Amino acid sequence: RRRDADTDHVSWDVLPVLSSEQCQDTQLLDAYAAPITNKRETSRLVRELTTVYPMPGLQHIKRVRACKDPGSPHPLEILVCLVRDLPDAGDERKVSISQLLSSAKVDMSGLGDPFFVKIPACPPLTRPQFELASKHWPTSFHEDKQLTVALQGQLFTHGQKAKMQEFMETAIAAAKAGLQEGMEPIGAVIVDPQTERIIAVGHDCRHGGHPLHHAVMVCIDLVAHAHGGGAHQYKYAGCWFSEPSPAPSLKKSNLLNLEVKGDFNELGSKILPYICTGYDLYVTQEPCVMCAMALVHSRIGRVFYGTASADGALGSKYKIHTQKGLNHHFEVFKGVLKQQCEDLRNMPF
Amino acid sequence: MGSESEGEFHRPSPEDIESWMQKAFDMAREALEKGEVPVGCLMVNSNQVLGKGSNEVNETKNATRHAEMVALDQVLEWCQREGRDYREVLPHTVLYVTVEPCIMCAGALRLLHVPLVVYGCKNERFGGCGSVLDIPGDELSGTGTAFESVPGFRAEEAVEMLKTFYRQDNPNAPKPKVRKD
Ligand SMILES: [Zn+2]
Ligand SMILES: [Zn+2]
Repeated sequence: RRRDADTDHVSWDVLPVLSSEQCQDTQLLDAYAAPITNKRETSRLVRELTTVYPMPGLQHIKRVRACKDPGSPHPLEILVCLVRDLPDAGDERKVSISQLLSSAKVDMSGLGDPFFVKIPACPPLTRPQFELASKHWPTSFHEDKQLTVALQGQLFTHGQKAKMQEFMETAIAAAKAGLQEGMEPIGAVIVDPQTERIIAVGHDCRHGGHPLHHAVMVCIDLVAHAHGGGAHQYKYAGCWFSEPSPAPSLKKSNLLNLEVKGDFNELGSKILPYICTGYDLYVTQEPCVMCAMALVHSRIGRVFYGTASADGALGSKYKIHTQKGLNHHFEVFKGVLKQQCEDLRNMPF
Repeated sequence: MGSESEGEFHRPSPEDIESWMQKAFDMAREALEKGEVPVGCLMVNSNQVLGKGSNEVNETKNATRHAEMVALDQVLEWCQREGRDYREVLPHTVLYVTVEPCIMCAGALRLLHVPLVVYGCKNERFGGCGSVLDIPGDELSGTGTAFESVPGFRAEEAVEMLKTFYRQDNPNAPKPKVRKD
């Protein structure tokens, strides 16, 4: 059990690469709130203010909050309106309640002096966003429990991480083999997670006469070879595919016969080779935009990369896997054997 | 002859662009008549066609074998045959294509320093030259060279050909259908 020592103190986390909306900072809107001086007026105030200032698009905002200061004489505070709702919204931080409600038919009794607040403009999508938003004003939050766990780096079990490590080690070995051939030290592995079988292993081949033979492109073509197709031959020992399994699963062969729904450039006939459907890719560094889109076309299931790259298209420059308008989206995780993947970049040639 | 591959890129004249796009449209029309995807794609360097692609996704079972990728391969093969350095040839080679290149192909064109792409209709689903993303114009210092893309050349005609193709090929097209299976 030599490996136990290694896997016991795994020094890497595998974290999801989320969409821009899921990672952006909380956007805030300027608003006025006021203490409720007479608690019994609360439901009437909510009803009347909601009629006068409905705040469309802010359904996630709770109209009333408990006062943050426990020593306050008034335990509840209510949102009156957004600054942008006022006819001549200057930057006046000091206003009176009659100014705010001058044109409105609201009975002001039960309301104290208004004060300026900032409220979250969008509903929070993740727990970190929810926690930040709540510091400003309470919002509702429909928690995706799995996402919360994933963000804590705890989505995968020890056993799953050990398997990931094994696949990434194969990718790293391929990268090193490529380096020996004079290529960039980048390696990739495509796996069928159902069977835990490796379908293809490839490394960067861009300095071998074909500048577009990035590790991911090589790997996709090797999967095509494994399915009886393929466009190029690779003369390197570090690039290989496993023989097609004797009985291809029914699921896979069905997917190969998916009918076309009018894809522009992708269309040749009624049969499309979505050959990476359900497969996982392990790649030592974040793919470039060409490779990332090639993964969309090939319908990859999930991508795990070791380390980010400057022009990477799955987290750094673009998040192709979450791009609105594209017809295939997939999960991306980063950080598997991060340090070892980073070290590859500084390998002496 | 060889001098065009040195120094700065000389933009083709409007007449040249017109006539190469005419050839791309002829290719697309021919494909349509044979029941194939009506996309025409040419790579031209100093009045010589170095690559001529059509979609090979099905033959290769590789979903990345778009017409542009096939044409780029032909240019690379031409360079090898002629003993020319692709790093000198491609920065002077123009892509003429009847449909906007997708994000992947736009990335490939950047990586190979192709300076100019002239295309017909937009590719709303995957377009990488303005429709979904703008790969030629974005700040990507590690991904080849930014390039110029000229959209909209006889766009209606290019769309019309695609629509005709889908009408005869697409099982979802509103057309009396006889299902055999
Ligand atoms: Zn790449
Ligand atoms: Zn393409």
